[in-house]
Amino acid sequence: MKLWKKLAAATALTVIAGGAMAEGLYAPNMAYRTGPFAALGIPLMNGQADYMTMLNERDGGVGGVPVDFSECETGYSTEKGVECYEKTKGTAIVTQPWSTGITLQVLPKTNVDEIPILAPGYGFSPMSEGGTFQWAYNPPASYWDGAYMIVSHIAGGDMSTLKGKKIAFLHLDHPFGKEPLPLLEQMAEEHGFELVPVPVGLKEMQNQSAQWLQIRRERPDNVIMWGWGAMNSAAIQEAVKTRYPMDQFYGVWWAGHDPDLAAVGEEGKGYKSISWSMPQPDSGLMADIKKYVIDTGKTQTTEDQLNSVFYQRGLVMSMMLAEGIKAAQEHTGNATIGPKDLRWGLENLNITDEKLAELGMEGMVPPFSTSCSNHTGHSGAWILEWDGAKFTQASDLLQADQSVIKSLAEAKAAEYADANAPWPVVECDS
Amino acid sequence: MFYRTSGQFKTSYTADMALFPVRQDAILLAIILAFAWVILPLTASEFAFQTLLIPILIYSLAAMGLNILTGYAGQLSLGTAAFMGVGAYACYKLVTIMPWMNPVVAILLSGVFSAGVGVAFGIPSLRIKGFYLAIATLAAQFFLVWLFEKWAWLYNYNASGAIQVPTLQMFGVTVAGPTASSHVQYYVVLGIVSLMTILCINLTRGTLGRTWKATRDMDIAAELIGINLMKSKLTAFAISSYIVGVSGALFVFMWRGAAEPNLFDIPLSFRILFIAIIGGLGSILGNYLGAILIVGLPVILNTLPETFGIPISSATVEHLNIMIVGALIVFFLIIEPHGLARLWALIREKLVIWPFPH
Repeated sequence: MKLWKKLAAATALTVIAGGAMAEGLYAPNMAYRTGPFAALGIPLMNGQADYMTMLNERDGGVGGVPVDFSECETGYSTEKGVECYEKTKGTAIVTQPWSTGITLQVLPKTNVDEIPILAPGYGFSPMSEGGTFQWAYNPPASYWDGAYMIVSHIAGGDMSTLKGKKIAFLHLDHPFGKEPLPLLEQMAEEHGFELVPVPVGLKEMQNQSAQWLQIRRERPDNVIMWGWGAMNSAAIQEAVKTRYPMDQFYGVWWAGHDPDLAAVGEEGKGYKSISWSMPQPDSGLMADIKKYVIDTGKTQTTEDQLNSVFYQRGLVMSMMLAEGIKAAQEHTGNATIGPKDLRWGLENLNITDEKLAELGMEGMVPPFSTSCSNHTGHSGAWILEWDGAKFTQASDLLQADQSVIKSLAEAKAAEYADANAPWPVVECDS
Repeated sequence: MFYRTSGQFKTSYTADMALFPVRQDAILLAIILAFAWVILPLTASEFAFQTLLIPILIYSLAAMGLNILTGYAGQLSLGTAAFMGVGAYACYKLVTIMPWMNPVVAILLSGVFSAGVGVAFGIPSLRIKGFYLAIATLAAQFFLVWLFEKWAWLYNYNASGAIQVPTLQMFGVTVAGPTASSHVQYYVVLGIVSLMTILCINLTRGTLGRTWKATRDMDIAAELIGINLMKSKLTAFAISSYIVGVSGALFVFMWRGAAEPNLFDIPLSFRILFIAIIGGLGSILGNYLGAILIVGLPVILNTLPETFGIPISSATVEHLNIMIVGALIVFFLIIEPHGLARLWALIREKLVIWPFPH
């Protein structure tokens, strides 16, 4: 009976022995091109992969060393994520977990295995506390930054105007969706607006009639949506159906997927999504991507994806990783770096306007820098507005007030360290 | 040839009733145990521990719990994952309220809570049967997952709403949490699973097992020959939920390290039901075979293209994997509808009479 098991183990062993093909810098991506969230995953993964392919083709990699950006398919399942993590951790210099569930599981292991987690724009907001989360990075902005910026945009910059307003918070009933709640509750108390949390269960993502009935009854001045996958398109369609004024409807950066809005077209005009990335079809980077990746056919990207928000966000994500590698190479003087070096590199990211211009990425992401006490970077973000056919930039760069967020992040990080004691915490100088 | 039973004479009733009336069975088991306890731990890699050995054992245990209820007592349940969740959350509360508690004791105790909940949801089984009971257990599934989400006390008011396993030590050795070594965790899991397996084998061969089987085969007849149906069904629910609860605690504490409420949602219940059905309802061995097929095989298939250096993208591998495993499930169920355990029993029978079939 367990002969099978024996065979299984033997196969696995040979895989581990023979599978470690350390060709260049191994930066695996835990992709989800299958499963319920594939529609959102594919453009993001394509963008990430294309940026690295472009670097490999144009510059021979980063610092002369090619980047092996292999994907490990998870289908957004936590179990597969752990499998991928175990498979890659031997030679990987970074973990890109790509789901809150996988991040949760991998986070405690990072201190032991010493591989940095790069979770651009997702994961825990308190991860910005680099002293506590030494191995985790969520640049360029955290969910709390996003929530703060949306509220400040609603207030038009003057928080006192929020008094007496009613804001509905339509969110996925899941760690990801609940993430901004502590901050929003605190802000509601401070600025005197009423917060109405409207949870959407994972199973009812595609059928939100009950939630929108509640929203119609409550008549909130604004709706903020913290949604993912099928929840977004369903919410947008329900909003159209219930004739909720679209210009009062805001979404997080994952709720700004072009096809979701394209499905309602003109009806969705005015819908806003906060975003720390902005597609720039005429940028120098896009020209290089077209020249080295698209035209040579070394990609899975389709033409219609190229200028979408999600594809170009994928590019930005890989840029952050590549810049982290570069910083680490300069710091150590070696082209071949290990996970520990990359940890240093990600902690010393300095994405300035000049740097962005040099990379041909002007306006694709706001400038930011990371440090030990700031693993997020807090770049700020723009409001993108759907004009009936595409997303356009509808605001100047917004910033979150870090004096509000910092104290909350510190408290939650300390709480996490306590609950997971013994948890190593270092003091940050900067 | 290997299974020739000639020359093995039974001279007493005890010998005839022994767990392994055929000597080769005992030898085979000894080999398997040697593999499980000595050879695999010495040779397996971290990857094999984390993706094959530990999960297969834990899923087998969960399926065994379900098999007691569905396979032996005939009460169809769709709430297995929720009962696993009760075990996991109970264990989390136990170790966070009483950090001095021995983790293995906590894991074994957490099953008690799950057993209590199981009995509560088993009460309708006294009145309803079959599909109707399945719906009642489905209610448990929805209710409990909802409770895990909404009752913040269960997850100690974490902002994320998920439970995270703290570092736990036993006699100075770390057994749970990020720093625990895979070897230690494997042995803890193996120890508990072995213990539960022995328990289950003996239970199902004894009086209780016979009352369950009588209840399963025809409950009116069972009642007429004097079996107390209430006792029979509720003990099945209690013991089944206990084992499932322990497996849930192991699932989170010895393997996953963290859990969100929706982990214990219906797909997990179905997965365990598939393991039990494909392995063979009403068998203990089947749970292991089913878990190897459903949990282990996809992991191995996923690694194959890389081993042989076939360049296909990991998304394609995943698609192929789903197709192959799906096809295999259909294939096995067609050649033997009673599951892999029955298939093995037939093969063994053929081997015993080989080379002279009737």
